[in-house]
Amino acid sequence: MSTPTASVSTAPVGAFPVAPGATKALMLGLAGIGLTALGLFLPGNTASVALSWLIGLVFWIGVALGMLLLVMIHHLFDANWSVLLRRQYEHWLSSLPWLALLFVPLIFVAWTNPTLIWKWMDPHFDLAQVGGHGTVGDDVLWAKKSGFLSIKVFTLVTAVSFAVWIALARIFRRNSFAQDSDGDVRWTISSHKWSAGGIPLMAVTLTLCVILWVKSLDYHWFSTMYGVWYFAGCVRAALSVGAIMLIWLWVRGDFKGILNDNHLHSIGQLMFAFTVFWAYVTFSQYFLIWNANVPEETFWYNLREHGDWLWVGMVLLFGHFLAPFLTLIHYPVKINKKLLPVVAAFIALIVLLDICYNVMPAKKLPNGDPYPFLQGGLIWTLTSVVGIGGICVWAYLKSFATTKLIPIRDPRIGECLTYHQPHAD
Amino acid sequence: MPAPSYGLIATFETTAEVMHAAETVRDQGYKFWDVISPFPIHGMDRAMGMRRSKVPQVSFLGGLAGFTTGMSLIWWTGASNYKLIVGGKPYFSPMFAFPVSYELTILFTAFATIIGMFLFNRLPMHYHPVLNYEKFHRGTNDRFFIVIETRDPRFDPAATRALLEQIGGREITELED
Repeated sequence: MSTPTASVSTAPVGAFPVAPGATKALMLGLAGIGLTALGLFLPGNTASVALSWLIGLVFWIGVALGMLLLVMIHHLFDANWSVLLRRQYEHWLSSLPWLALLFVPLIFVAWTNPTLIWKWMDPHFDLAQVGGHGTVGDDVLWAKKSGFLSIKVFTLVTAVSFAVWIALARIFRRNSFAQDSDGDVRWTISSHKWSAGGIPLMAVTLTLCVILWVKSLDYHWFSTMYGVWYFAGCVRAALSVGAIMLIWLWVRGDFKGILNDNHLHSIGQLMFAFTVFWAYVTFSQYFLIWNANVPEETFWYNLREHGDWLWVGMVLLFGHFLAPFLTLIHYPVKINKKLLPVVAAFIALIVLLDICYNVMPAKKLPNGDPYPFLQGGLIWTLTSVVGIGGICVWAYLKSFATTKLIPIRDPRIGECLTYHQPHAD
Repeated sequence: MPAPSYGLIATFETTAEVMHAAETVRDQGYKFWDVISPFPIHGMDRAMGMRRSKVPQVSFLGGLAGFTTGMSLIWWTGASNYKLIVGGKPYFSPMFAFPVSYELTILFTAFATIIGMFLFNRLPMHYHPVLNYEKFHRGTNDRFFIVIETRDPRFDPAATRALLEQIGGREITELED
């Protein structure tokens, strides 16, 4: 077959400057963060702001971790079609150090105001304030888990995990960008090896972090599926952002002659597969708890059938699974440059709602019921998500401007550009 | 009495030749024709103007049938035909019917896909007229063929032969049915 590499623009992306966009993203990010910080000064909003900040971080860290995982999966499979997507993910991974920095306030909260978010952090906390009895220290379910549920472990796991993620991201970025200039295949081999080692590291750090950050909000609860649930959400969010980036670059003109329907079909297939995977994992978690019917586990779902949370759960069931399933199952949707970004944005939003569903009901009234979903504090979730997201987009665009549009000397770039699947329409 | 004619077969030497030839045949509006190649040629389906396979639609129907079967099986056995309380659960709930329905969705989808593929490809096919062509074995090795069938409404013995010659076909031969 002919190789259309000759027609591919290998110029740096200077022709379409992204600097103004980066500045706008930074401004938006700082504005969001500033507004969220302002919320701290409004009386009675502190806990709401803190939980919202956690939601924003868990969502955007999830996007970055999903991308890191997809980069490693790309290397492990020695895949060809995703080379151009991988480069965009590598750019986005430059947001990880910033996300670590934005996480510092939560560590600060853990040490200075331990009951603000995670009640178990203070053994003297009176559970009567949230519908229980006795103190956390008297609670046998905390005592048995206290080897893991301690502020020191929390801090250590968070710090080590960020170190691992940032280190892996730096390695993959360096290998890929260095190959642009010298074309040496040893960079690819290095990435393969680091991916093989990195996947188990990711599995452990991602699971431990989401257990400490999110699941421990209701520390009585048990679920062995929790890490997998977060993994599914991370990858779904990362694929959605990835699809939007590809089409954004196509609309801008950078990807004219580079991006073809088969690339979109493949990323659409992954989005579809992970829709089913998310449903499988989430249903398994629900079904086992429903079937066993043990109070230490069922209370978590009982809380989430209270008030408007039941409707949030229904939106997740139909919006997070059924709607994307029935939409993405069609081939023409996967390659439609107008429709696919809409579906992708919808999935990303629902991933965010899923995180809200897991985090927010942890904030309880004195009778033990959760605060409703629709309440004034939701504004802080919006500002947090926009604020942290702005920083991520800024980091992506800043990195984007520094290298080639695609990894021009990647051993698989030729196969990527001529990527073909038998199909016609 | 001569055997009825199946169609005309023409030989091509390279993938590029046969690809461009296929595009011309497609643009001439032929419907009953085929390209024979020893290996898959990327882009040939488009060059032949082939439509997307209908097998996925059969698969979807199979999946739907599987899901319905699972749900109704559990409902009928546990809540209708012989009511039985198991583990303090209701007679019927979509929760415990779901794993069964899910498995049957996959199973029936797989069956429907295989059956659909066989039906649309008209498999098994134990006889095909092109196998009568004495040089057919080259089509499994290093030659490419285009066959245009006589049942095509646009088929005309002289005009079709001329078309095959014009697009670079060699050794144009009539195939017996």
